[in-house]
Amino acid sequence: MLLPPTDAKIVARRAEIVAALKAIVPGGVVADPSGLATFDADALGAYHQMPLVCVLPTNRQQVSEILKYAQANGVPIVPRGAGTSLSGGALPREDGILIGMGRMKRILEIDYENGCVVVEPGVTNLNITKAVEANGFYYAPDPSSQIACTIGGNVAENSGGLHCLKYGLTTNNLLGVTLVLPGGEIVTLGGKCGAQGGLDLLGIVTGSEGLLGVVVEVVVKILRKPPVTRTLLASFDSVPAAGQCVAAIIAAGVVPAAMEFMDRRCAEAVEGYNQPGYPAGAEAILIIDADGVEADVTHAVFSITEIVAQCGGTTIEATDEKQRTRIWSGRKAAFAAMGRLAPDMICMDGTIPRHALPQVLEEIAKLADHYRLGFCNVFHAGDGNLHPLIIFDTMKDDEFERAEAFGADILRLCVKVGGVLSGEHGIGVEKRDLMTDQFSEADLEQQHRLKCAFDAQGLFNPGKVFPTLSACVEQGHIHVHGAQLPHPHLPRY
Amino acid sequence: MTKVANEDQLVEFVRAARDVRSPFEIVAGGTRRSVGKPVGEIPMLDVSGLSGVIKYEPAELIITAGPATPVAEIKAVLAEKGQRLGFDPADWSRLLGSNGAATLAGAASSDASGSGKLRHGGARDSLLGFRAVNGLGEAFRGGAKVVKNVTGFDLPKLVCGAFGTLCVLTEMTFRVYPQPQLSTTLCMADVTPEEGFAALRKIALSALEPVGLAYLPANMLADGGKGAALIKLEGAQQPLEEKIALAHGLLGNAIHPIEGDLFTAIGCGEKFADIPGDIWRVMIPRAEAPRIAMELHARHWLGDLAGAVLWLAADPAEGARIREIAAKANGQAMLLRGSAESRAALGLFAPQAPVLAALSKAVKAAFDPLSLFNPGRI
Repeated sequence: MLLPPTDAKIVARRAEIVAALKAIVPGGVVADPSGLATFDADALGAYHQMPLVCVLPTNRQQVSEILKYAQANGVPIVPRGAGTSLSGGALPREDGILIGMGRMKRILEIDYENGCVVVEPGVTNLNITKAVEANGFYYAPDPSSQIACTIGGNVAENSGGLHCLKYGLTTNNLLGVTLVLPGGEIVTLGGKCGAQGGLDLLGIVTGSEGLLGVVVEVVVKILRKPPVTRTLLASFDSVPAAGQCVAAIIAAGVVPAAMEFMDRRCAEAVEGYNQPGYPAGAEAILIIDADGVEADVTHAVFSITEIVAQCGGTTIEATDEKQRTRIWSGRKAAFAAMGRLAPDMICMDGTIPRHALPQVLEEIAKLADHYRLGFCNVFHAGDGNLHPLIIFDTMKDDEFERAEAFGADILRLCVKVGGVLSGEHGIGVEKRDLMTDQFSEADLEQQHRLKCAFDAQGLFNPGKVFPTLSACVEQGHIHVHGAQLPHPHLPRY
Repeated sequence: MTKVANEDQLVEFVRAARDVRSPFEIVAGGTRRSVGKPVGEIPMLDVSGLSGVIKYEPAELIITAGPATPVAEIKAVLAEKGQRLGFDPADWSRLLGSNGAATLAGAASSDASGSGKLRHGGARDSLLGFRAVNGLGEAFRGGAKVVKNVTGFDLPKLVCGAFGTLCVLTEMTFRVYPQPQLSTTLCMADVTPEEGFAALRKIALSALEPVGLAYLPANMLADGGKGAALIKLEGAQQPLEEKIALAHGLLGNAIHPIEGDLFTAIGCGEKFADIPGDIWRVMIPRAEAPRIAMELHARHWLGDLAGAVLWLAADPAEGARIREIAAKANGQAMLLRGSAESRAALGLFAPQAPVLAALSKAVKAAFDPLSLFNPGRI
């Protein structure tokens, strides 16, 4: 994976840039190599890069000043929350300022009557729920990194989680943000009432992967905790039977709070790891949560159990909280269990139409043979979000290259069957070069022009999301024909 | 008026308009032409031919259709499989005094989300993907045809509520939801706005997943006493009975079921269809509803979405005052129906602050740099 070439002129000005940032954020600039090493990667662990400098502002005025300085001096900016991105969204640049939002972590207001919480971007996802759970409320999106990931990062990545099918992604649970634009101007999009009075820029900023600005305040919706949650474990002799079961549950009008699929490889790995008690020999298992008022849940559990039986599966219901936790412990340990089988692992993330599941799993198995690598499949089955885990050893010959190629082929496969490159992890650097598999040049040019509307100088998170390094130019009526890319003299990386 | 029947014809039409810089108005069902600033005497592009279901996959919870497909047609197709659109697309044609059929693109482009927004969000939360032609005459795609997708910018959000000012849609893919077997509307009659909205907020903050929460003052509902809070719940029989019992537990026994579904009429603004004057939708934080309703002091008004949207009729001279009240509450006042003079003077929304206005303009230019589509509408 290549990043845009480093601008040596910026690197040469490092001392001056550090001094300028220290003047803006006294005591909040990390410039020594050991300190910077903390920030040299996010959760896409294969890629490391020391930033030019890292600045940790504590308020929006500082953010604004930093961005004004960066723009005036043509210095790239990479925003970072907690650095839990799985797609390299917060991977630093040697010639760029890393702006870490972790110190802006105040909960500014809890407003039950309006069903919302106002927070700074560095508040962790879980801390929002913790702030309101004593009163019976929670914040719905629950990415697996929720203990560490920040709400600002969630906004940037439009993070999901286990409960998206019923409760939506970040974008569906967000009422407003305050954003500092690349030029340092501060704008508020939406707010407690959600309405924006014009174009839905909030919708564009959400999931924009740090390409459009820095979020300095967030208003999220909170929901009443469902009074009842019940958990079912269903096992099947074949993957198509499990796939058919998922489709039948959805078609019956049941919307489970969560519906997780694990293939045999994954179930066996976790059984050998923390013994969640999954039935031996099952080719596929589903873990299903139903939540809501009691009768709703009873109704859902009854329907699901019947459908599982019709599809040739067997259902076990957790009888108490302890068993619920045990059933879920296997799913939650999938990464750790697979990680035990090899030194390195990557977690892929694509979405497919659910009906394509048996075909996709069969082809993934063939690809694994081709690349001679171990893998397993976990899947947010309700919304078609597939997470194949590929295990390998970087120290062994070309295993890393093979693992990356295997992962890329899986994502191409997702696109081929009508799906997408990313269901919740984002594009970042990880999937950047695959964007042309999903989008035409016209599609990407349209998105790039939108990027330019926010960031005409192209200073925000360069090298992420878009596969082509192109400058923002005055957009006129000149049409780009056929296969000719804009600015053909610029390199592709 | 030119009529296009497919994307190729549309591309050709837009390129021709681009080459001579000739702006035009995009019309499908034509029911919402009188919303927003008048676009003036410019040619019309009739896209009503881009109609019909393209692919419906109930088990994938998605439907793909032409943008000019009538909402009624989509609803009927979905109902056959026990599904529905989550955002309750509102048909404003009676309110606006227009004929024609409300279409998918019209509903999404004008963010005409009804009471279902409480549970499933607005049009923006349901539109998963689209195809369109931009102002350069290029066909492009935004979003995708799966329910969970974070690949690239989330363009479907932007298209919703843009009133056709960014691109001309040629295909739309929506997420759909199961249609529960039963629903009921409960009425808490003879309550003041203060009491009524407080009751609605209690339900909004519960786990009952309401799909309608409105307050109607005395002159908006017969038998409502001094005003009535209306609550719509749904589910299969037993769950619905449980929800009704829980609602009684939260609000006491002053609530009783009433006949009919008033919420469709509320979302469509039908209560205001026969009332003269400008019609506004004022969007505010819902807890402010009683105070702001009092301050707005309209003879005809009601509160939808637990108070987050106040509908009201007002004299054209009241526009500036309404906008001021909304702004003070960090809300937005949308002029939904007004004379051409009112709309020209007041616009659809209040002018944005300079930085936001400049950004919005740049975003518009990123799609339609020559301002060909519905110029000046928002």
